[in-house]
Amino acid sequence: MRRPIQNQPIVGWWRLIRVVPFVVTAVVSASASLAWAAGGKPATKLVNVADTRSLPPGFPRFVADVYNDNLLLYGLLVVVVMALTGFILGIVLDRVLMLLGLNLGKLQHHE
Amino acid sequence: MDTFTIFLPVAGIHFNILLLLLIGFTVGVCGGFFGIGGAWIVTPALNIFGFPMPYAIGTDLAHMGGKSIVSTIRHGKFGNVDVKLGISMIVGTTVGMELGARLVMHLERIGLAEDYIRKMYVVFLAAIGSYVLYDYISHVRESRQAAREGAAVPTRPTFARRLQRLHLPPMIRFSASGITCSMWLPVGVGLVTGIVASVLGVGGGFIRMPALIYLVGCPTLVAVGTDLFEVMITGAYGAFTYGVKGRVDLIAALWMLVGAAIGAQLGTVAVKYVRGYSIRLLFAVTIFIACASVLTKQLQLQLASSILILTAGVAISGVILGLLVAGIQRERRERENPTGTNQGDWS
Repeated sequence: MRRPIQNQPIVGWWRLIRVVPFVVTAVVSASASLAWAAGGKPATKLVNVADTRSLPPGFPRFVADVYNDNLLLYGLLVVVVMALTGFILGIVLDRVLMLLGLNLGKLQHHE
Repeated sequence: MDTFTIFLPVAGIHFNILLLLLIGFTVGVCGGFFGIGGAWIVTPALNIFGFPMPYAIGTDLAHMGGKSIVSTIRHGKFGNVDVKLGISMIVGTTVGMELGARLVMHLERIGLAEDYIRKMYVVFLAAIGSYVLYDYISHVRESRQAAREGAAVPTRPTFARRLQRLHLPPMIRFSASGITCSMWLPVGVGLVTGIVASVLGVGGGFIRMPALIYLVGCPTLVAVGTDLFEVMITGAYGAFTYGVKGRVDLIAALWMLVGAAIGAQLGTVAVKYVRGYSIRLLFAVTIFIACASVLTKQLQLQLASSILILTAGVAISGVILGLLVAGIQRERRERENPTGTNQGDWS
């Protein structure tokens, strides 16, 4: 009788195939910029300048200055700030929920 | 109210912080509960309150990436994120989105893009909502029948189970989902959902979540968590590409993220107290409302469409929060008098 798939010994080169999706993800994700422009008319190129005249020194002024100086840096700033903020808020709010006495362990999946 | 109005330098408009927090909170609750990004709520909501559309889309993608990190952390601790499955699907989704973009360009060149895409969108939403609702009703009927006969609910042979039995190496064990199938199944499903999402011009969460359930065979909660993992990755990429194009207002995105983070935690915790099929029922209702909103927009009732979707978003997040509160109260009663399961059911 055939053993279940999870108990069968893995032949060496099959193990290598499992790495392929991870490598392909990195390559394809880095080059799929066109995919995100889909779904409507392409945006018309506008020269936009963030108005800093009424902004006092601080984070919004810093963001506007980066926006006006270098859009590539601005794109990186957006990703880093949003990811970091999301991560920190996720950890903090998790702790807050645990302090409220909620049981937040692993779930049983009931359909 | 002027105290809460700030100037957004990139979008070039004044906006109320409380509104940003409310929009973020609403879509955070829905997103954490259903495993979707929520662009179809945020983008029209921002636009209706004065955001230029390209900035609404870019700012939404930026906040979506951050919000999904919050939900993914929580779903991960619940054991609802199948990372291997998520990465397999991302491979397919990314290729699919590129193919979908090229298909849209081709349809545009032959002058059919507007007609076809609009109609496809409505038909697609109606089809997904109908199938999910039909699935829920069938499950309820079978459960009641089984309860009357005193038997267990029969396990239906599903299309997903048939697809899992296709032997196309490499066969991989996706442990969080509890399924073993060919790697090409999630890649293929990702490819198809990526094409559809790209053609319709959406992030794809509301397509991927049911696809994970009905085509890959994931349990509902794992489909929710894994989909959020994908939204996190694709949201981050969307934030970067729109940021480089200068179409993200980072300050607005941060304020929305604060509201969304709180909402996402609450929406994610709510899944603990609701059975998988009840999540599917609410999902079907949400899809039908989205379908009605798109139809209204196509009838040139732009304002009505935006108001409908925003109101519906608030109402649905209210229902989810109600389920959360009821679940917490049930859990507290269980602790005092321990009997039975803690997951609620609407059947």
